[in-house]
Amino acid sequence: MAKKTYDLLFKLLLIGDSGVGKTCVLFRFSDDAFNTTFISTIGIDFKIKTVELQGKKIKLQIWDTAGQERFHTITTSYYRGAMGIMLVYDITNGKSFENISKWLRNIDEHANEDVERMLLGNKCDMDDKRVVPKGKGEQIAREHGIRFFETSAKANINIEKAFLTLAEDILRKTPVKEPNSENVDISSGGGVTGWKSKCC
Amino acid sequence: MEEPRVREEEEDEDEEEDGEDEAGPEGALGKSALQLTAEDVYDISYVVGRELMALGSDPRVTQLQFKIVRVLELLEALVSEGGLEAEALRLERDSLRQEVRALRGEAPPAGGQVDLGPDKMVVDLTDPNRPRFTLQELKEVLQERNALKAQLLLAQEELRCYQSGLIPPREGPGGRQEKEAAVPRPRSADHRKGERTIMKKLPRCPGRLGQGCKAASRRPGVEGTCVGQGHLPPRPPTLGSTMRRMSCTQGQPCSQLGAVKGKTKDKKIWY
Repeated sequence: MAKKTYDLLFKLLLIGDSGVGKTCVLFRFSDDAFNTTFISTIGIDFKIKTVELQGKKIKLQIWDTAGQERFHTITTSYYRGAMGIMLVYDITNGKSFENISKWLRNIDEHANEDVERMLLGNKCDMDDKRVVPKGKGEQIAREHGIRFFETSAKANINIEKAFLTLAEDILRKTPVKEPNSENVDISSGGGVTGWKSKCC
Repeated sequence: MEEPRVREEEEDEDEEEDGEDEAGPEGALGKSALQLTAEDVYDISYVVGRELMALGSDPRVTQLQFKIVRVLELLEALVSEGGLEAEALRLERDSLRQEVRALRGEAPPAGGQVDLGPDKMVVDLTDPNRPRFTLQELKEVLQERNALKAQLLLAQEELRCYQSGLIPPREGPGGRQEKEAAVPRPRSADHRKGERTIMKKLPRCPGRLGQGCKAASRRPGVEGTCVGQGHLPPRPPTLGSTMRRMSCTQGQPCSQLGAVKGKTKDKKIWY
């Protein structure tokens, strides 16, 4: 009999304009490290990180997409399998913030309807170069009913919190399966609103 | 009898002529060769004929008159022919102009010298960085890379478990034991030392690996780490033997590996 090293597998996806720091955010979370050299992601990459939430071992398979337009046909084909999507912009890059609506449309078009979304304003350590006020990020997140964090992969601000929160939100609406009682399947399919009472 | 016909044609051709005629027949002699019309030739012949008449009826004059008439006839022929050709060319020019205008209206003006359709690109075949591969090829390479990476991660995970002694090397039924027995296992002190070093680098093993692991205390950290037993199994497998065991066939109860192989073969998981 095959034994799994985890209880649940969650597939997450990182999207956003080129250069906003998606790969760095992921690298900070998976390897707790940061690299200043900018290497554009080619197409699609992934990392694995196992976390424990509510006594469950959850394997996070996190897909890191290339932000560049020329890879979009490749990256959009990965939306479908994602259970959670992190949309990242750069608080020092106004264009990356303006493009949020474009990325949200992409999610609507290509991802599962019940996908858990989250907005991240990255590079919040660079406050002197900030062009997107925190309030604007909060506002657009509120308008779309999604969570929002300002993060810094460099200064390690809110990175783990963001990933764990997203994983928790997915866990909350994941049907609970007890290995010993096959009949007990408390399905909460589509229970997207679960978290709203808790926060914000 | 040809003269009236030619005259009419010439008049139709160029209306500007009329204005110049008012300068009198003498004016025709002042014109440049390119401006000259059949009308002008008649004017010239009128002027010349008048002067010849004034010279009287000397037979030499009469002889000269014949030659002059002949020259004037030739000149007239050349001028009218030239005029007709000019008219034909003008018509052709006008129709070509119209054609060009129509073509320009259809297609937007192309930037380069080469006439490309819309959404086309010129590739410099001598450029070493020119685009070479198709999107499909890139997709396939990325999928293969990610599938191999996934397999590597799982293999590393299992390796960690073997090295930390969570899976006893002799666990499981016959098929695997035979395989293991076939693997020569050097047991020198050096080898053990090397494995311990690797173990230090890869100390963690995700839990739920078997009885030993369940018994082990779990660190409450993010990784949900399964703390090893702190001792090596009686016969620690070498890296080589571990790798070999990983390549055992799917049907065999190869502990985790069965799951590993099954997973990675399932394309749905890794796209």
